[in-house]
Amino acid sequence: MIEVSGLTKTYGKKRGIDRISFTVNDGEIVGFLGPNGAGKSTTMNIITGYLSANSGAARISGLDVLENPVEAKRHIGYLPEQPPLYLDMTVEEYLSFIYDLKKVSGIKRSEHLDEVINLVGLTDQYKRLIRNLSKGYKQRVGMAQALVGNPDVLILDEPTVGLDPKQIIEIRNVIKGLGKDRTIILSTHILQEVSAICERVLVINNGQIVADDRPDNLSALITGDRKLTVRVAGPRESVRRILRGVEGVQYADATVQAEEGSYDFLVEARPNVDVRKPMFQALAQAGYPILQLKSMDLSLEDIFVKLVEAKRGNTAPRAKTPKKQETGKEEF
Amino acid sequence: MTAIMKRDLKGYFTSPLGYVFVAAYIIVMNATFYITSIMNASNGLTTVFNVMLYSLAIITPILTMRTFSEDYKQKTDQLLLTSPVSPSGIVLGKFFAAFLVFVFGLVLTIVYVIICQAFGKVNMASVIGNYVAILGVAAVYISIGVFISSLTENQLISAIATLAVFALLLILDLCYNLVNTAWIKAVLYWLSIYRRYNTFIMGVFSLADFVYYISVTAVFLFLTVRMLEKKRWS
Ligand SMILES: Nc1ncnc2c1ncn2[C@@H]1O[C@H](COP(=O)(O)OP(=O)(O)OP(=O)(O)O)[C@@H](O)[C@H]1O
Ligand SMILES: [Mg+2]
Repeated sequence: MIEVSGLTKTYGKKRGIDRISFTVNDGEIVGFLGPNGAGKSTTMNIITGYLSANSGAARISGLDVLENPVEAKRHIGYLPEQPPLYLDMTVEEYLSFIYDLKKVSGIKRSEHLDEVINLVGLTDQYKRLIRNLSKGYKQRVGMAQALVGNPDVLILDEPTVGLDPKQIIEIRNVIKGLGKDRTIILSTHILQEVSAICERVLVINNGQIVADDRPDNLSALITGDRKLTVRVAGPRESVRRILRGVEGVQYADATVQAEEGSYDFLVEARPNVDVRKPMFQALAQAGYPILQLKSMDLSLEDIFVKLVEAKRGNTAPRAKTPKKQETGKEEF
Repeated sequence: MTAIMKRDLKGYFTSPLGYVFVAAYIIVMNATFYITSIMNASNGLTTVFNVMLYSLAIITPILTMRTFSEDYKQKTDQLLLTSPVSPSGIVLGKFFAAFLVFVFGLVLTIVYVIICQAFGKVNMASVIGNYVAILGVAAVYISIGVFISSLTENQLISAIATLAVFALLLILDLCYNLVNTAWIKAVLYWLSIYRRYNTFIMGVFSLADFVYYISVTAVFLFLTVRMLEKKRWS
């Protein structure tokens, strides 16, 4: 369990993080989502005892990181933003050193290290000098290092940075698997990553937590206006008329001609209404097939703007008038 | 602590640094030995120890320049400081790694003692006393170097600053003969690592001076620990 209360850290005059509080329960995987400079790494560095906060406290399994540092750190596996590697060692030497450094006991060295390198897919690089590994493999060594000693809490700062798409999926699965019996915090800028791995997401912006929710709730909140782009084969005017007639549709209009004889339409549903099924049926009845249907992806910046606005105005974003949204910077 | 010590020890000999240090040590000692024993046709080991005292000041920064600087640079300090090892464990581990490499170099010089003994009578008690005292002096040099390396992530600055501090200590030492005021002399004597060594050169093992070396070492190691702790508040 990780308990963080009122953490504040300033760098000189600059604010790093501001009164951050949250609790992560045993066995939970929590995603830390935020843009560059939001304060993700700062928070993680404080939890792991690398930095001290100006005020507030962090506890790992009930142990205060400042008052009981050595004991608390025994419970933590930490992958910092830049993997802390000794380039002059081989992967084997390095992980063996980590095994000693963490004073692992009760698990046999060779078996344990074999298990770890298998998990992160480093078996073929085991005897190689870390200096000569590619960026993605260095990142994996960093990950392996965090796993040595089977710590019950994992703090992973952007664990998939530098990996290729196939490796990203592999590592995400590894993290998911680990999360079954471990408490994990991971940070990322990527919304999809949070949805793919985490049960819960903390959105952090400008040093403050702006949302704490399940990823699907968060996406609902973010896409609260339920904007869809629909590509329909059929005459522009009639399709628009049909779309506007669908129960729950608030707004519909054609944007561009996509393919020969088909148009992309922007459809906006009323709050909490899923218009996809009735829309399909209406169009099918009229004989106009749907060629493509997707929800509008918002960029991370748009998400933060929305969350911050929602917090400040104390009105849910979904309650905003369509007119105001059109002044936003979503491209349509 | 032992994990860190072992790693750094290995680090000295997977990089050129350990070899450079040992090679420099051997070259300096060979030259001294040659000059003192052949030219003067005497087997006075005292000159050898005297040269050792000053030449060590020049070559120990090779051992300590990377100690913390390199960790800061590669961010491995983040690994050490978030592992279940206290800051004092980290500092001691790194200190003893450098110290052991030094001891390795020193052991190689025993060859000279054996040669000298073959040519004439060597005062064994004095030689042993000098060896122990040199260990004390080396501990001081290394602790100062380790402390300075904890202040910067640049190895070169670390090495140069350490040399500068040793040079400053030498200047203070030279000032000792130039001043007459008693209390200034007392202060200078108190600060002088080199002057204290004369007692040992003369063949007397001075426990007080040895304790002085150990205490100075402890002070610098303590300051290094404080430096690591202070970094957390930056
Ligand atoms: N050592 C430092 N000195 C001064 N300011 C710092 C330092 N480290 C972080 N900051 C500032 O604190 C804020 C939070 O930084 P932090 O590294 O925690 O962000 P982050 O969320 O991890 O960003 P990223 O996604 O880029 O990794 C930023 O504004 C940053 O400029
Ligand atoms: Mg970061």
